[in-house]
Amino acid sequence: MSSATAIAPNYELIQQDGLETSLLEVSMGPHHPSTHGVFRMDVKLDGETVVDLQPVFGYLHRNHEKLAENMSYLGSMPFTDRLDYFNSMTNNWAYALAAEKLVEIEVPERADYLRVIMAELTRLVNHVSLVGFFINDLGALGTPLLYAFREREKILDLFEQASGARMMCNYFRFGGLRNDVPEGWLDRARDVVDHFPVFLDEYEQLLCENEIILSRTQGVGCLSRDLAISAGITGPMLRASGVNYDIRKVDKYSIYDRFQFRVPYTDGNVGDCYDRFMVRMLEMRESIRILKQALDGIGDGPVLGNAPKVFKPKPAEVYGRVEAPKGELGFYLIADGTPKPYRYRVRPPSLINLTVLRDMCLGQKVADAVIILGSIDIVLGEVDR
Amino acid sequence: MSLLGGGIFKGMAVTLRNFVGSYFYKDRLTTNDYSWRPSDKLPQHAGEYPKEEGEQLRDTTTVTNYSRNFPMLLHDGSEPMDTIRCVACQICERECPPQCIYIEKSTEKKENAGGKPQFYPAKFDIDVSVCMSCQICVEVCPFDAIVMNSQFELSTPDRFGGLLLRRDDLLKSNDYYHNIHPEEAAARDKRIAEEKAAKEAKKKAAAEAARKKAEEKAKADAEASEGTPDIQEDAE
Amino acid sequence: MSLELIRDILVATVPLLLIFPTLFAFTTWLERKALARIQNRIGPNKVGVPLTRYGGRFSLFGLGQPMADGIKMLFKENIVPRDADRLFHLLAPILALIPAMLVLCFLPIDFPWINNIQDSVKAFMLDGAVIFFFAITGLNTLAVFMAGWASRNKYSLLGGMRAIAQMVSYEIPLVLSAVIVVMMVGSLNAAEIANAQAGWNWFIFTPWGLAAFIIFFIAALAETNRSPFDLPEAESEIIAGYFTEYSGFKFALFFLGEYIAMFAISGLAVTLFLGGGAGPGVAALPWLSVIWFLVKIFALIAVMIWLRGTLPRLRVDQLMGFAWKFLLPLSILNIFIAGSALHLLAGGRLAGLDEKQPILRQLMEGANPLVVAGLWIGALLILYVAANGLNQLSRAKVRPREYKYAE
Ligand code: SF4
Ligand code: SF4
Repeated sequence: MSSATAIAPNYELIQQDGLETSLLEVSMGPHHPSTHGVFRMDVKLDGETVVDLQPVFGYLHRNHEKLAENMSYLGSMPFTDRLDYFNSMTNNWAYALAAEKLVEIEVPERADYLRVIMAELTRLVNHVSLVGFFINDLGALGTPLLYAFREREKILDLFEQASGARMMCNYFRFGGLRNDVPEGWLDRARDVVDHFPVFLDEYEQLLCENEIILSRTQGVGCLSRDLAISAGITGPMLRASGVNYDIRKVDKYSIYDRFQFRVPYTDGNVGDCYDRFMVRMLEMRESIRILKQALDGIGDGPVLGNAPKVFKPKPAEVYGRVEAPKGELGFYLIADGTPKPYRYRVRPPSLINLTVLRDMCLGQKVADAVIILGSIDIVLGEVDR
Repeated sequence: MSLLGGGIFKGMAVTLRNFVGSYFYKDRLTTNDYSWRPSDKLPQHAGEYPKEEGEQLRDTTTVTNYSRNFPMLLHDGSEPMDTIRCVACQICERECPPQCIYIEKSTEKKENAGGKPQFYPAKFDIDVSVCMSCQICVEVCPFDAIVMNSQFELSTPDRFGGLLLRRDDLLKSNDYYHNIHPEEAAARDKRIAEEKAAKEAKKKAAAEAARKKAEEKAKADAEASEGTPDIQEDAE
Repeated sequence: MSLELIRDILVATVPLLLIFPTLFAFTTWLERKALARIQNRIGPNKVGVPLTRYGGRFSLFGLGQPMADGIKMLFKENIVPRDADRLFHLLAPILALIPAMLVLCFLPIDFPWINNIQDSVKAFMLDGAVIFFFAITGLNTLAVFMAGWASRNKYSLLGGMRAIAQMVSYEIPLVLSAVIVVMMVGSLNAAEIANAQAGWNWFIFTPWGLAAFIIFFIAALAETNRSPFDLPEAESEIIAGYFTEYSGFKFALFFLGEYIAMFAISGLAVTLFLGGGAGPGVAALPWLSVIWFLVKIFALIAVMIWLRGTLPRLRVDQLMGFAWKFLLPLSILNIFIAGSALHLLAGGRLAGLDEKQPILRQLMEGANPLVVAGLWIGALLILYVAANGLNQLSRAKVRPREYKYAE
């Protein structure tokens, strides 16, 4: 029969309030239901309070960068799909942007419009399901998640019609897109975009005023403005901490300067899970605005520029980045005159945003650690590469 | 100040609305009822999932016209090996990112659909357990010989052999292609026809020019030295 | 023991042991179906009842699903962790089921066959039924902690600790809100409480009864580990809490125990506040009261399912705060209000202390409608203001926020 003495050797004894007690070490993951993939948190608990937390990752390492260095430039395009497998379109775009800088290809206007449409649809997909997962981590029985997945499904249908695949789209090419969208696609897209706000209203009604969600998320996992900046956090997480920084506005890459849209951010005195959740909710509305403008403005024309048949750039170093739904996704390429990149480096927003996990979790409850992780929005495919 | 617990009641109103709505509005449903019954036989081909009579399922329940799964090789006529388009140029083998195509070129040439002697793949294997359905092979093929299939029921108890598709498994007729991807196939055929027409026009123009040149030359020759035999120049 | 007595005992208990597990099976189906519809899914719809599926094409809305689940559970491997305490690991699910089953017999359901058995076997005639109910459900806590401890899994341990804290805390508002009813009836006997509400005199139709019912229901959710208080088995935090290491039939027993506890506590709520078996048509057809009782239980369970489909869960400290800083003061205040009303209506006399004096229920009936209306408004106003104040105290800074936009 097991007794306390049999268990004790595993535990580290500490003195607290004159009592000899011990911390509970729990290894959350890699097969914990809410670590969003194969991710592990080594948590030390005092009762339910987190006193130490060590993120452990790398379980999903697939050697992405080294593979790409031994492959033609085009060959690693399908592999970028698998970085952040929720948002293959923006991954493609960031890589295409970098490669286009290497050889300076003009992207046709219609392709640019379609790229913006795809990227903003991706943002909707990501944010809507992230919110669903986040509320799931809070303990709701998947109801918001399933609503989100219904909407995601409609957008994935659009992706499938355009690119042939729902998630691993592999749709972007250097100098444009692989193929034009089929006939009637724009109308279907407009339909989806028009109906999205209806769904968002319902979603907001379900979630945004719920007392339990408010008290669970407010004041939990605060990330200060300074820490966010010095840790290199990007994306909605940075804006929730009060920094107005959106690469769509800063770089104005592609044709983003043609659209009217706003970037929601906070005044930066809290930066908690609620802010991160709300910034994403608000960002979806702005994405819809962009989508509407893009769907109205798109014209006819080719979708693939005059890309060279054999992609063999001159020696150069480039960095291409986009505002992916999770943050700044960048590709750094060094070309050495051969058809393969000499160096291929990904700047994954998930990984860099994850670095502050420990700082946000200390002193919180173990249940909060889960939702803080959820609010960071990681995809392990991108963290581990 | 809002009502105490008001947010919770609002949320409950939403779920109630969804509860009731799911009975009345089909577009609210997250999932579809496949209406598959044990007595139905399993589908053999893409798009064969049984439907209730007269019921139009949303096209996501079946494989859509746009989906892609694994590559297949096209042939034009009824005899696959006589009309195979692939000429075993091995570009796709080289370009496939995960390197899952294996080709062995034939040693002798054989007539293809156009009646031209060509090499053909003696072996053409695709390991679909490795293939990631990226479609790069389709893009790089200069002969429109390889396109994406949408067949998805490929599960097999044989983990290695069963997932290695051989040349004869991969060969599908152009009609089948038209069947599963009508728009794409039509566009591709149109492009091939255009290219062919352009090529032929070019060829014709070239032949015409050569003939004219030859005629002129012959004339000149005849004028220069009568009685010498005509020299035929090959236009091609 | 005479043969007669044994027969009577069997007549009194066996139907309960048959009816409620059957209802449990039906409830799992209902819950899955309702949750599915809330989430816009279809839910189980393929498994039919045998003989309907192969004969025709009816699958009866998947009604056979619980049966299939049960068979699956029975045949699953029973995995016990190597270092687990095998004895307690085995005992815990049994102990979880027994008290839940036991308290079922305190529910005053007037099964027709029960009328001709000896009074001494009619468990719900017990004079202290309500107290007994709470005493026995309290055992459940022990089972849960036993499971958490015996599994020798850290998540189980965390779940077990959460369960103890939660169940002990919520027991207090639960009992205190039941006190209101005892004040109104002057008895702890379940059957008497139910009889006192015959017709439409349900206690939920009194201001303090309404408030007490809401508190009771919230506390009952916590007692049975239902969402939003399902912390001991919080899936996203501690896997499955105390039954992480349970599989197969032991898990099924836990599951069964949980649902039976749900029936029991809803049954108690029905007895205390919703008039027991009272309902239209009962006077003419006495057996209707069984139906009404079950319908009311299912209505409460439907609300539980609805809540489960809507709400995320609370955090440990918020959960405890909610019990101690919100429910407890409110239920005490509620008792106080009820007491004052009693005092007021009885014209300053001490009422209800002994049986000859009028109790609150009778006083309400006899009172001037204006006074009654005043009592309603006054009591609910005080309670609402108090609730709001308590809410402000603990959650002052929690509110929706405004966001800035950059062009
Ligand atoms: S689809 Fe991609 S992975 Fe598959 S065979 Fe073609 S190139 Fe290779
Ligand atoms: S499929 Fe196309 S690219 Fe591949 S070997 Fe045949 S002809 Fe060449």
